[in-house]
Amino acid sequence: MRHPAGNRLAGLATVLFAVAAAWTPARGDAVSSDGRIHVTYWDKWISGYEGNAIESTVAAFNGSQDRIVVDYFVTSQIDRKTIIATAGGVPPDVAGLWAQNVSTFADAEALTPLDGFIRDDGMSNGEWLARYYPIFAAICQHSGHVYAGISTPACMALYWNKTLFREAGLDPDRPPRTLAEFNEDCRRLTKRDPRSGRLVQVGFLPQEPGWWPWAFCDWFGGSLFDGHSVTFATDPRNVDAMRWVRSFTTENGLDDVKTFSSYFGQFASPTAPFFTGKIAMVFQGVWYDGYIAQYKPGLDYGVGPWPEAVPGVGDFATAEADILTIPRGARNPRAAWEFIKYVNSSNPRARTRAELQGAELLDFLQEKLSPLRVWSPYFEQHHPNPNIGMFRRLAASPHIVCIPDMGIWWEYYRETISTLDKVRLLEATPEDALRYSQTRLDQSWARYLLSLRRHGQTLDPTQIAMP
Amino acid sequence: MNRIEWRRFRAGIAFTGLWIVGLGAFTAWPVVASLYYSFCDYSILKSPVWSGLENYRELIHDDLFWKSLRNTLFYAGLSVPLGTVVALSLALLLNCEVRGRSLFRLFFYLPSIVPMVASAMLWLWIFNGQYGLLNWVLAPILAPFGLHPPAWLADPLWAKPALVIMSLWGVGNAMVIYLAGLQDVPRELYEAAAIDGATGWRRFWHVTLPLLAPVIYFNIIMALISSLQIFTQAYIMSEAANGNGTVSDGNPARSTLFYTIYLFTVAFYDLRMGYASAMAYVLFVITVALTWLATRIARRRMLNLD
Amino acid sequence: MRVHSKFGRFVVYLLLAVCSLAFVMPFIWLLSTSLKPIDQVMSLPMTFFPRVYAADLDGRHREVSLDFAVGQAGAVAVVTAGPEAGRRVFLSDQQLASRSSDVRVLHRVEPGWWHITAHVDATRVVRPGSGVNSDVVEGARWDIVPRSAVESRIRFRWRNYTEALATIGGDPGEPGSTAAMNHVSFWVFLGNSFTVCVLGVIGTVFSNSIVAYGFARLRWRGRDVLFAVTLATMMVPFPALMVPLYGVFRALHMVGTLQPLWLPTFFGSAFNIFLMRQFFLTIPEELSEAARIDGCSEWRIFLRIILPLSKPVLAVAALFHFLYAWNDFLGPLLYLSRKRTFTLSLALQSYQSQTGGVQWHYLMAASTVTILPIIVLFLFTQRFFVQGIATTGTKG
Repeated sequence: MRHPAGNRLAGLATVLFAVAAAWTPARGDAVSSDGRIHVTYWDKWISGYEGNAIESTVAAFNGSQDRIVVDYFVTSQIDRKTIIATAGGVPPDVAGLWAQNVSTFADAEALTPLDGFIRDDGMSNGEWLARYYPIFAAICQHSGHVYAGISTPACMALYWNKTLFREAGLDPDRPPRTLAEFNEDCRRLTKRDPRSGRLVQVGFLPQEPGWWPWAFCDWFGGSLFDGHSVTFATDPRNVDAMRWVRSFTTENGLDDVKTFSSYFGQFASPTAPFFTGKIAMVFQGVWYDGYIAQYKPGLDYGVGPWPEAVPGVGDFATAEADILTIPRGARNPRAAWEFIKYVNSSNPRARTRAELQGAELLDFLQEKLSPLRVWSPYFEQHHPNPNIGMFRRLAASPHIVCIPDMGIWWEYYRETISTLDKVRLLEATPEDALRYSQTRLDQSWARYLLSLRRHGQTLDPTQIAMP
Repeated sequence: MNRIEWRRFRAGIAFTGLWIVGLGAFTAWPVVASLYYSFCDYSILKSPVWSGLENYRELIHDDLFWKSLRNTLFYAGLSVPLGTVVALSLALLLNCEVRGRSLFRLFFYLPSIVPMVASAMLWLWIFNGQYGLLNWVLAPILAPFGLHPPAWLADPLWAKPALVIMSLWGVGNAMVIYLAGLQDVPRELYEAAAIDGATGWRRFWHVTLPLLAPVIYFNIIMALISSLQIFTQAYIMSEAANGNGTVSDGNPARSTLFYTIYLFTVAFYDLRMGYASAMAYVLFVITVALTWLATRIARRRMLNLD
Repeated sequence: MRVHSKFGRFVVYLLLAVCSLAFVMPFIWLLSTSLKPIDQVMSLPMTFFPRVYAADLDGRHREVSLDFAVGQAGAVAVVTAGPEAGRRVFLSDQQLASRSSDVRVLHRVEPGWWHITAHVDATRVVRPGSGVNSDVVEGARWDIVPRSAVESRIRFRWRNYTEALATIGGDPGEPGSTAAMNHVSFWVFLGNSFTVCVLGVIGTVFSNSIVAYGFARLRWRGRDVLFAVTLATMMVPFPALMVPLYGVFRALHMVGTLQPLWLPTFFGSAFNIFLMRQFFLTIPEELSEAARIDGCSEWRIFLRIILPLSKPVLAVAALFHFLYAWNDFLGPLLYLSRKRTFTLSLALQSYQSQTGGVQWHYLMAASTVTILPIIVLFLFTQRFFVQGIATTGTKG
């Protein structure tokens, strides 16, 4: 090329291109210049109780030894991002996922099993899991292997508005103990505006908050999965549960409920329906005390167990958790395990705030319960959550449930939401709605198992035996 | 090829070489690979395993596939005609010799260049059942009739119409095109028609519209293709609608479950890349078929005019 | 087209005015919400203008926030004994009855009175997702007074913009804390968007002009077939490419970086090739012929003759691509995982989905900032935009 202007332009473009193409962000070396192993830890919490708690726990771990430094990175949509990063060959060392991701990610071969690390530390899987309450031990395992540790455990209980109870003539310190009492209390707590006839207050609505539509099935004694096949529509007690869900719409009127619920504020704001007295009772998690303190201090409320829906099944509750996993292909799996181990252990003899460690430190700062069976004296006696005793009782209850261990859970969950919506909006009868989802899920499950077989994988549904 | 042809060929390839590489790497290979994956059981972290027609067979029986297709066609069927009518009407208005035309044009065009993410957030807020702008305007209008405005994005019946309304806000692009086309119409034709006694409406129908026809058809095709691929606004709005922040299932009640959203969910949440590829291919075929159909109609219509 | 009757002209102007209002109203709403404090964003009845409230609180006339109306009768009291001594609480009448021993009543409260909190001049940005009005700091003074005791006037909360931009990348936190390390500055997002856009524009102009020259100004075997294939690719929907394209970038180790967003532009795009080819075809062939006779190589003809004449179409292509890249959401959603690499559109969306109540005022402020550069760009290049659209749309 003989012309300077053209040359220069082309030259500049080439240089820019080369520079930009060569600039790849550093992927994080194993041992960095300060001689310590840097563990990348992705989780979702930015701020609030959980965020502060995670930061403090990470800082405590980093300060407790000088071999490993955990770098915490906030990541939204963490399940999708973890899969993408793992597929792209650049996963984090520790990924903070949700309980419902365990089976799917494990079957997709996205996780590193923790069995090897547990064994190297001189324990069997059962011995390691024995530290947890059984429900949390169940969450951590899949197909005979341990895949996760717990970061933020939660149980769900009944919250009721004592002021509204009083106004309705009910004993504010005595929540409904059975389903029949619950239904009756709901009727007493439903109020309408005398002039317009519109709803101004209801006792309960199943779609508020609507995050655990599957819980009602379990509560009624039904089941979602019997270990072999989907039982969403085949278990008659699930039908009872959906009929009960529908009763709230049929008793109050579809349009009335629609109008009424269109005025609900966001759950984490002062205009949430439970805070503004629009709903008298709600099933919420252990974190709810913190939200009430933040958005509606002075609210007179109580916390209690779920009413008995099935005679003899007392202390029913649902549990879920945020978990810590090691994605497949992580650069520093052993160091990652050290961190996970720290977060899933505690100092059982702590008598002061400064002596709290690991799980108890993390859960103390979040005002949540600890997933470990043994609680230190300080944690037990000085816990900031006034209702923590109730949640501990529920966590230890033999009747607490969590989501089924199924790789297609994400789809199943979407189906439960859709079924609940259809039933409460009177778009389908409970039987039809359940059957529709059942058909889809049967096909999905069959296809899923076929796919696993094709890739040479098998599922072992038995739980790990604990001493 | 003789020497001259060979030299010419070499020059041609030299200039289009970049595109050939790009075509190969970023279009041809993915299209072929997509076809291959659509016949496989492919979860992104495990290698693909051939499964034949299984994905396609399942697609035919998948109720959500048909539902998402229906939702998408409903949306396209509303937003494309309405958008065309609105854009054309605005262009006609602007085409009258009005003062401040460029100011009006600015008002109408600006919304169409707003980033879709920001636009979706804004309209999410406007459609809020309780605090939103739209219901604030509608409530006093409907109150005398004893009605109240719908909850828009929280109501399965009104979620799609809400998205259609939002799409109308962005017709500025099409409007500018129509305006340019209108200004290409020679004035003599209008005057000749006026001499023949044609009034405003007939002038429009028999002079303006036929001349504008190619432009309208081209834009309808482009609008159709892009509305079939609606993703961003539905993704953002349904995520927010559920409140959970993690489920993007076309809430409420899967009324805004559009084709691309279902595809994305199947690919990146259910980790079924093979099935997602089959869905993508079906979309490709539908797009080509609709384009071909629209072109046939356009050509026939335009031939008739001559 | 001239509308002759006065009535006709009036109708036209009326319609234009109504439509303009409808189109501009969302922008006004955007601005209005972006200048309000959060409690007024979600207040009923709705107002367009943000207000600032003042009332007598603890003996002084202060600026306050109007929080919520209390539904029950009761009293504001101070706890006199126990671990909470000195704390001011609100007790309903029933609660008061059971606790009369360890509290001292300050004043009674009627139903319908409003909870107000004193504004503290917050120099520290409050954590997003905590749901706390950033004007309210823990431990701030509060009281419950009748609505009539609170006065208001209009004031725009410009602070929303700085606070929104400061928190769009997460909580800035105390210096040295993990939050601070996680925090990504707004300028990083802006920089990422600019990087992708500018590199994309360079690539677009560079590659498409070269390729279009090959299609428009040269005759060679297979040219028309290749061009037909090029046109056909315009019909391939992105989802059909999405999954394998991801695999391509994974093989190139580009996943998680910005490269998948701008690198393909250096290899041409069907639409721009078509656009530029149409333009190149309008340049008289004699110019090229004359140069060829003089012995110029094709490259020199391209560089010295065709390119200088093509400034309009290059400008249009550059503008369109800048706009497209600035607004792109699906691309970043697919390829980017680390927050530090996010573009502005993705940062805006993840800002929305942060846990804890949606902070509409910050969201609208951040959205305005995302929209602003495009509007500025448009105002300066209106001519090109309109011309470009007209050309592609009418001659397409």
